[in-house]
Amino acid sequence: MDTSNPAAFVNAELLRMYVGRRVRAVIQVLRNDGGSIFGKSTDEQELVIKGQPPNPLTTFVEVIGIADSNRSIQAEIWTNFGDNFDVSSYNTVCQLANGDFKHLFI
Amino acid sequence: MPVNLTANAIAAIDAGDVNAKPLVQVLDIKLIGSSQERYRFLLSDAVATQHAMLATQLNDRVKTGRVRRGSVIQLIEYIGSTVQKRKIIVILNMETIILDCDVIGNPSVLELDSLPEKPLSSGPRPSINNSVAGAQNLSRTSYNNVKTSSSLNQGGNMQSFRPTVQPSYQPPPNYKNHGAIMRNEAPARIIPIAALNPYQGRWAIKARVTAKGDLRRYNNARGDGKVFSFDLLDSDGGEIRVTCFNAVVDRFYDTIEVGKVYVISKGSLKPAQKNFNHLNNEWEIFLETTSSVDLCPDEDTSIPRQQFSFRPISEIANAESNSILDIIGVVVTVNPSVPIMRKNGMETQRRILNLKDQSGLTVELTLWGDFCNREGQQLHDMVEAGIFPILAVKAGKVNDFSGKSIGTISATQLFINPDSAEADSLRNWFDRGGKDTASHSITKDAILGGMKNETRKCLTQIKDEGLGRSDKPDWIAVKATVSFIKTDSFCYTACPLMIGDRQCNKKVTKSGNSAWLCDRCNQEFEECDYRYLLQVQIQDYSGMTWVTAFQEAGEEILGCSAKELYVWKNEMQDDLKFLEVIQNCLFREFILKLKIKEEIYGDEQKLKITVVKADKLNYSEESRFLFDSITKRHVTTY
Repeated sequence: MDTSNPAAFVNAELLRMYVGRRVRAVIQVLRNDGGSIFGKSTDEQELVIKGQPPNPLTTFVEVIGIADSNRSIQAEIWTNFGDNFDVSSYNTVCQLANGDFKHLFI
Repeated sequence: MPVNLTANAIAAIDAGDVNAKPLVQVLDIKLIGSSQERYRFLLSDAVATQHAMLATQLNDRVKTGRVRRGSVIQLIEYIGSTVQKRKIIVILNMETIILDCDVIGNPSVLELDSLPEKPLSSGPRPSINNSVAGAQNLSRTSYNNVKTSSSLNQGGNMQSFRPTVQPSYQPPPNYKNHGAIMRNEAPARIIPIAALNPYQGRWAIKARVTAKGDLRRYNNARGDGKVFSFDLLDSDGGEIRVTCFNAVVDRFYDTIEVGKVYVISKGSLKPAQKNFNHLNNEWEIFLETTSSVDLCPDEDTSIPRQQFSFRPISEIANAESNSILDIIGVVVTVNPSVPIMRKNGMETQRRILNLKDQSGLTVELTLWGDFCNREGQQLHDMVEAGIFPILAVKAGKVNDFSGKSIGTISATQLFINPDSAEADSLRNWFDRGGKDTASHSITKDAILGGMKNETRKCLTQIKDEGLGRSDKPDWIAVKATVSFIKTDSFCYTACPLMIGDRQCNKKVTKSGNSAWLCDRCNQEFEECDYRYLLQVQIQDYSGMTWVTAFQEAGEEILGCSAKELYVWKNEMQDDLKFLEVIQNCLFREFILKLKIKEEIYGDEQKLKITVVKADKLNYSEESRFLFDSITKRHVTTY
């Protein structure tokens, strides 16, 4: 297992700390344009995810890729997370994983 | 400072004025009554005096000292009554104006005769007051109280009531128990049901029949008999039950129809039997052959058709078991009717449905017997068609076997989509979104409702903390994975007969070659029930242990009924299916509520752990629980 380039759990606010680096986020799909999607992060802000979304695409999707700005991610891996997702729990995980427990993750 | 009492108050009441709300003074209070406590006041309006009976709902006022001898009171609701030419006031509501006051004015207390009283009941006279024993003591206001207790014959037979107050200066009347007595035959005044009491001289009530009971025959030491009862409701909302025995049944059974209004008089009043009579009245009317029941053909719109006092489902959760109440709710589910064997071997039908109201709570309603096929079937069809009707239940019984639920009794009445304000508001609430709000059942969850927040522990803590060693069992919750289930014996043959509301469930033994015998119910039957008795090994991050799971927990863990599993394994020899079911539940995580108790088996102490409830993980909730644990334990270093 290649642990050389771990993806950090991010929401919109944490994304800017990882510009240029590998991140992962769960996004609620708002609009699907084929080449990119507009989605809502787990802290309720709009992000752009570039790449090839899978077909079909469920309401929630996890993307892993490189953050290319503080509002967008170039996604390499897409995983459908279904239509029911506890957004607030995920958001708390992002905060803990980048805060007190960062040493457990990165 | 003395106040002025209402002049001529006594005379006014005797003349029929019940609206004046006069101020009077209580000169004396006596506790009388052999079966029931009654207080008798001697009231004065500064000139004249008269006895008055206090309605029992006010008994507390005397007991707590809110009214005493000398108190000046205002009569708020009262009736003047004549019993055998004696005038008595019945006080239904009063307020104490001055608690202690010297005697106002110069009331002339009526002279009592010293009529030797014929004891009407053969029992010993209960001693009421010490002062009565010294009956010859004349007090300042010069009156005797001769033995008054047994005059209030609990049989309620009007003719034998012998009050001791008599109009002054008249020779003692010579009434015997069975003399011919001239009675005033003028039609009695109609009074509210709430004012009825056994001391009422003549009364008449006008009310609508809200329920008519079945004609029942009985057989007791005195022979055969028949009885039927019906309930009345009047325009003030007062309710009372009327009962007829034997010959009286023949006279009135066919005349009485539900929904019609009657004027009834000349019945006798006795204490209501609270076991059967759930109406809000301490009395019950018993009709005689001399009673009169007259149909009122005109539609009296002032009398409602039914009276309910609905309780919201949230209050049922706290209601006392076996209490009787009215509820109203939207029928959200209706289960099929199932035959249930009663302990006496008779079969009856049972149907369970769920009612939901604006509190967002649902409660199970169990229909028994005819209700299943009549209203039950109707409700079932309506719900199948997508209509969720409103159901009002009058006189349902609270049951606390599993949380709180309501069951029908013989006195219950069901009304589908009744015409009432509560029904309308429920309909509006439901149609506008109430339908989709989350429901929480007070019937299922409540069995652990109070214990919902069991402490979460890990498996090794059971041993480390010595759980189960005290006299009472310990209850905890664990998150654990099922790692093994013993399959040689996973269920037992159980008795399906009902004992009251629950199934017997005792292990049954084979009798003969095709029947099963239950020792507790002492009955044999063809088909037994199969119930889980699982030995399960569970593990978590700390360790492992063995637990026992019964029916409900077993079903949750395995995902199918014990009977199905039994059939697959033993009858259909479908080992594959059986194994598949078992495999599916292995390594699944559950939140298990455990009951831990150390018990002595022979000379050994063994820790018995039972799964009381098994729940699949709710990831959202569990995440929040874990976040909570994290923040609780973690101390931020910067």
